[in-house]
Amino acid sequence: MKTQQAMIDQAKSLLKKLLEDGEATAVFGLARGMGGVTAPRIFTMPDELDSLVLEPKWPLAKPAMEILRTAPGGYRLAVVCRGCDERALVELIKRNQVDADALVMVGVACSGEQASICLCDRPYPSKLDIGEAAHGVDPFDDPGVKYLLEGDTHTRMGRWERVLKRCVKCYGCRNSCPICVCDPCKLEGEPWVRRGIIPTEILSFHLIRAFHLADTCVACGACQEACPAGIPLVTLQHAMRRALREGFEYEAGLDVNEKTPVLFDFIQAPEKDRPIPDWINTLRD
Amino acid sequence: MAVEVSNNHKQQKATERTPRILVFACKWCGLIGADGAGRKREPLPPNFRVIPVECVGSVEPDAVIRAFADGMDGVIVMGCHLGGCRFNDANHAAFKRLELLRALLEGVGIGRDRLLVTFGTAHEGHQFTDVLRNFTNLIAKKESLDTSWTSSRARMI
Repeated sequence: MKTQQAMIDQAKSLLKKLLEDGEATAVFGLARGMGGVTAPRIFTMPDELDSLVLEPKWPLAKPAMEILRTAPGGYRLAVVCRGCDERALVELIKRNQVDADALVMVGVACSGEQASICLCDRPYPSKLDIGEAAHGVDPFDDPGVKYLLEGDTHTRMGRWERVLKRCVKCYGCRNSCPICVCDPCKLEGEPWVRRGIIPTEILSFHLIRAFHLADTCVACGACQEACPAGIPLVTLQHAMRRALREGFEYEAGLDVNEKTPVLFDFIQAPEKDRPIPDWINTLRD
Repeated sequence: MAVEVSNNHKQQKATERTPRILVFACKWCGLIGADGAGRKREPLPPNFRVIPVECVGSVEPDAVIRAFADGMDGVIVMGCHLGGCRFNDANHAAFKRLELLRALLEGVGIGRDRLLVTFGTAHEGHQFTDVLRNFTNLIAKKESLDTSWTSSRARMI
């Protein structure tokens, strides 16, 4: 893999420069350590960057947030971001979970192969430093997504039931999600989901979890990768992401200054003459 | 709100054919409309319960999800007319949120039409009756949602 090696070399020189110039106190990325094990690592010395790798995909946004939470003042962390990591960090900045000044995002493009695995329609960050942007994949072209999201509701309900019944309620989807930051979590509280009781209350657990991320989900797929039962959790989000795109022309994680339309940008408010979109009147269908 | 009901509840459900409907009614419009419908002795289907809320803006989508999880076949959220909310634009915010929830319900196969969001004013008791009757007819055509999806013991009705 020549291009892969070239990308790593480019990343190393770029990150070394960041560390040497003092623009970043540390670099957060993936390292191949002893025994060929790849894991996230904080690089503080330029020499350490020799072990840096860019593959495989490893969602770094959540650990980066945890590092910055406990970091001392003046600490600047450079994070090697894929497109989804960058969008997740943008969402965290919007919600005041990450200090934007303490963060240097170094954008890495995903390969087309990775994009087709993740069903990612945007496999590149907005600020691309390393590599070339691959073409995105439309998730609604995927047969698996079509199977669960398109067609008669009655048959699809049966399909979803079969899929979601596999849940063992390990809370892995919540814990791995870069944007799930609430404390206390509603999935642990008595009126919504009873803790420690199996089988899972499918509807309340999964729909509440999915809906809490409705306008925030960046479709990084961390929940799906963490799920031991292989539930296609991102497919739930695709339905809402499509509704947001069609109804509000909004996509999560693209712009730090763009606020979620579900809470802001009232439709009628400043201009009285603007028509209310059709979708708002549910009496019609 | 959640009440533990023993097994006689299940037997009752097996015989009843009418769908179970939960109405979240805003205290300033929907609830007064419901009251008016009752006072005028409008013939209403017997299968609904009303939960008064201060404003539809305070209806969490989670509460709607929970209602479905507790075996409701349909949920109606009733607010004031757009532009007529007591709390400025709170009903707009609620509608946008619930529209997103409808997209999720459609995605997961429950169907977006099981959640109805309507607007009315305090004097529209007849509208309340109409909405409820039409919605009951619509939901009655669908199969009951109370299948193995729901494993929670607590019941709302």
